[in-house]
Amino acid sequence: MKTRIALIIAGVSALFVIVAVCYYALMQFAEEKYSIVLKDSSLEIVDFAIEDKEEITNDVPPNPLKNPYFGDLHVHTRYSFDAYVFGVNATPYDAYRYAKGEMIKHPLGYEMQLKEPLDFYAVTDHGIYMGMIQEYGDPNSPQAGYEWAIPFQNINREENRTLESMGERLNLFSLMAGDGYLERPYPVWHPKMWQAIFTKNRQLASKAFDYGVHKSAWADIANAAEENNEPGKFTTFIGYEFTAGTEVEGGNLHRNVIFESSKAPIRPWSREDSLNPMELWAWMDKLRAKGLDSIAIPHNSNGSNGEMFEVETYYGTPIDLTYSETRMRNEPIVEITQVKGTSDTHPLLSPDDDWADFEIMDGRVGARPPTYSYPAGGYVRDAYLRGLMLDWKGQGNPYKFGLIGSTDTHLGAGSFDESNFWSKVGVVDGSPMSRGSIPLTEERLEQLRDYSEEYNQPVSAVEVDGNSYAIGFDQWGSSGLAAVWAEENTRESIFSALRRKEAFATTGPRVAVRFFAGFDLTSIDINAESLIEEAYDKGVPMGADLFADGEKVPEFLVWAQKDKYSASLQRIQIIKGSVTNSGARPSEKVFDVICSDGLEVDPTTHRCPDNGARVNIEDCSITNNVGATELKATWRDPDFNPKDKAFYYVRVLENPTCRWSTWDALKAGIKPRSDLHKTIQERAWSSPIWYIPVPEDIDIFAL
Amino acid sequence: MSLKPYLRIILFFLFGFIIYIADITMNYDEESKDIYISDQELDGLFAAWNSQVGRPPNEQEALNIVNDFIEEEILYREALRLGLDQNDRIIKRRLAQKISFLKQETDREEPSSKKLADFFDINKDKYYVPPTFSFTHFYFSQSPEAENKAKKALSEIVKFGAPSSSEPFFLGKNFSEYSLGEIEQAFGQELLIAFDNPALNQWIGPFSSSYGEHLLFINNKSLGYSPKFSEIEDLVRQDYMLQEQDRKISDYLDSIKSEYRVIINPTYEF
Repeated sequence: MKTRIALIIAGVSALFVIVAVCYYALMQFAEEKYSIVLKDSSLEIVDFAIEDKEEITNDVPPNPLKNPYFGDLHVHTRYSFDAYVFGVNATPYDAYRYAKGEMIKHPLGYEMQLKEPLDFYAVTDHGIYMGMIQEYGDPNSPQAGYEWAIPFQNINREENRTLESMGERLNLFSLMAGDGYLERPYPVWHPKMWQAIFTKNRQLASKAFDYGVHKSAWADIANAAEENNEPGKFTTFIGYEFTAGTEVEGGNLHRNVIFESSKAPIRPWSREDSLNPMELWAWMDKLRAKGLDSIAIPHNSNGSNGEMFEVETYYGTPIDLTYSETRMRNEPIVEITQVKGTSDTHPLLSPDDDWADFEIMDGRVGARPPTYSYPAGGYVRDAYLRGLMLDWKGQGNPYKFGLIGSTDTHLGAGSFDESNFWSKVGVVDGSPMSRGSIPLTEERLEQLRDYSEEYNQPVSAVEVDGNSYAIGFDQWGSSGLAAVWAEENTRESIFSALRRKEAFATTGPRVAVRFFAGFDLTSIDINAESLIEEAYDKGVPMGADLFADGEKVPEFLVWAQKDKYSASLQRIQIIKGSVTNSGARPSEKVFDVICSDGLEVDPTTHRCPDNGARVNIEDCSITNNVGATELKATWRDPDFNPKDKAFYYVRVLENPTCRWSTWDALKAGIKPRSDLHKTIQERAWSSPIWYIPVPEDIDIFAL
Repeated sequence: MSLKPYLRIILFFLFGFIIYIADITMNYDEESKDIYISDQELDGLFAAWNSQVGRPPNEQEALNIVNDFIEEEILYREALRLGLDQNDRIIKRRLAQKISFLKQETDREEPSSKKLADFFDINKDKYYVPPTFSFTHFYFSQSPEAENKAKKALSEIVKFGAPSSSEPFFLGKNFSEYSLGEIEQAFGQELLIAFDNPALNQWIGPFSSSYGEHLLFINNKSLGYSPKFSEIEDLVRQDYMLQEQDRKISDYLDSIKSEYRVIINPTYEF
């Protein structure tokens, strides 16, 4: 009996040993041949710093009262799948050269150059399939033989960079924008499949994906940022775009992720990993735990069909304190304006705001066929109000973000000037005719019709004033700039300015704005040299909280300076939003605070009188000697209730000037379209200051 | 009647195995013999015919074109399978060029310091450090009286050491080590006149900027200079390597360009 038991034990242990050896051998093989290991590849952190880089010493002392720095944190280059399809050949290096003031070429051949260099810049290519499309396009690459690569082959050869290739290009964009085109999974037993599972890297499971190419594209983008970062003079950030959306309705949930230092993960965490921004934040939190801070900046909420600033989570569950805190930790800043429209507010949401109908883009981002995007939940003012309401209900405020602008250019080069506009998607909208500002010729109209038929797309032309115009790009515009108040032009200083929301947005011109709140600001002499020092002493700057001081009425200080090259300033407004303490009823109001030309604000309507600034549509000239080079004032809230939660932000308006579509028409010697705005009032927005009332003793339980 | 537990487990694995096998056999197609011709490719083929012959092909011709294309593809694949690409001098040369091109991109041989010094001499302008100014100012915002106010303030400074009134400037009061470019960015081009051989350490003005009138006190001017080669050798090396890379690529392009014929539609209108 005993021997039998011993035999069984021996047999079982032998079996166990064999299994263990086999498993070990298998894993060894897997690791050596296919580098399969049990780890999360997205959490591997790499330092991209250039080792022997000559550091330019920055001996200019930091300014404790802070300087305004202007930049762009949303720039695509050839590494983005769509930019490549749009004919763009600009590299990240070209993009940084452009930001420093050098000239680079548009894919259609003309020159692009800034009037004055920018202070900071970040190349943020799409994380999804970063670098892959370029690889498909290269007929000599290992990917070139596959059927999915064929349509991309040599698409950007010199002679194909023409307006006629637009149909082919848009069709490729539609193919890729719809999910699945690039999903060519390996069979389940394939080692690549295991690798995908064991390294939590879903894209590896696709035959159309080459990890080496992907990683080196990302490393090249990081290297370009590192090479061009010059502390004290010019700041760059390593970043990318997380291009996700809701699975139904195509709600745009795009965000740019910006890293604080020369360190970054080995690969961008993209929509292949998840469509859910909450999982993006979880990933960013994990990186933060490893000592790498980053922020995500949502953009084009206007085209999200109301999904960007929902009152529930991605899963449809109620927002709770943890959600609000996580969102604010990861998303302190939102992009309010860019080429694809402005997301301040919508005329349907703010019917009493005379300036709400401004550069409205009312379609969903990337939707084909073009689809209307519902405004509620897609604009920042509405989001601020929703945030107050959620906070009132004890769910925390997930929408307490600051504001910047950026361009979202896909050319490496932002277009900030109405009189010299090149839009953003290269061959597709690089000429006035293709972006709908001058009528289509018969021949081009014919081409568009052919394209619609060939690729099963809706009609791409519209009849206005008896002429046909291309559709799709007339609601786009030459906007926006990101601006911060920072002690010096370095990564650390600018990143922490974004973190504390001491940031503002403009629609292109370098209009700068200061904004402070406190309970004793009217006592400051606004003509004293010590103005800003005192304001920091007695108040809080934009982006901050102002905690209630008994029943005291908050006072504000605003100060704006015009762009040297743009129109003069017309007025400064403060936009107030609040919810009542007795039921979270929202309200909003626009107050003119100071007018140009010595004009007085009407105390009942809170409006400035007309300052007489006009635009001559015949030649785009503007009235001379009207408007201000700078405006400053202190202001007290006239309808203040100390118990109501509230936010206040500044809007600075320039005198009207011609819109890009008018400039295009003028240059072509024709009349501008009657259905588009002919003029535009360029503007700047500050980040808000939130008024925090004394907490109530009553707990509110949402039913 | 229920099955014994271990039978259920066996059945479970058996079904799993069958599904697994089925999946493998149905989804695996790496070595397929399909020839996929996309619409774009067909368009391209017919457009090429059209461009050569001057009219679109008729049905028979279209069939011939597609057949030729398919045969070419089949022969190409069969040739690859038989290894005919090996020991072919044309293919060899082409591949050799490819690899050398790749190498040129990655090759990072250390340049001699003589080369670097020459490079530095040629590009001296690029490394020139421009002159900078440190200054403070009194500001009078744009208005018809601004100039008079500024003049009055200047006389007050001369008499009492400080003006009776002035205004805060948006970008602050003191500016340290600003180059002319930075001054232009902060104040506008008009103010540059003030920095053309200025008198140092005394109040001068008024000067106009884009924003109004200024009285300036320039207390330091650091002369522009060309740094010594030894100080910035690393920077020069970086730039040299970058330039070498560009040069190698353009050399390669030049050498290969002559093989191409460029065809542009002579009647094309933009």
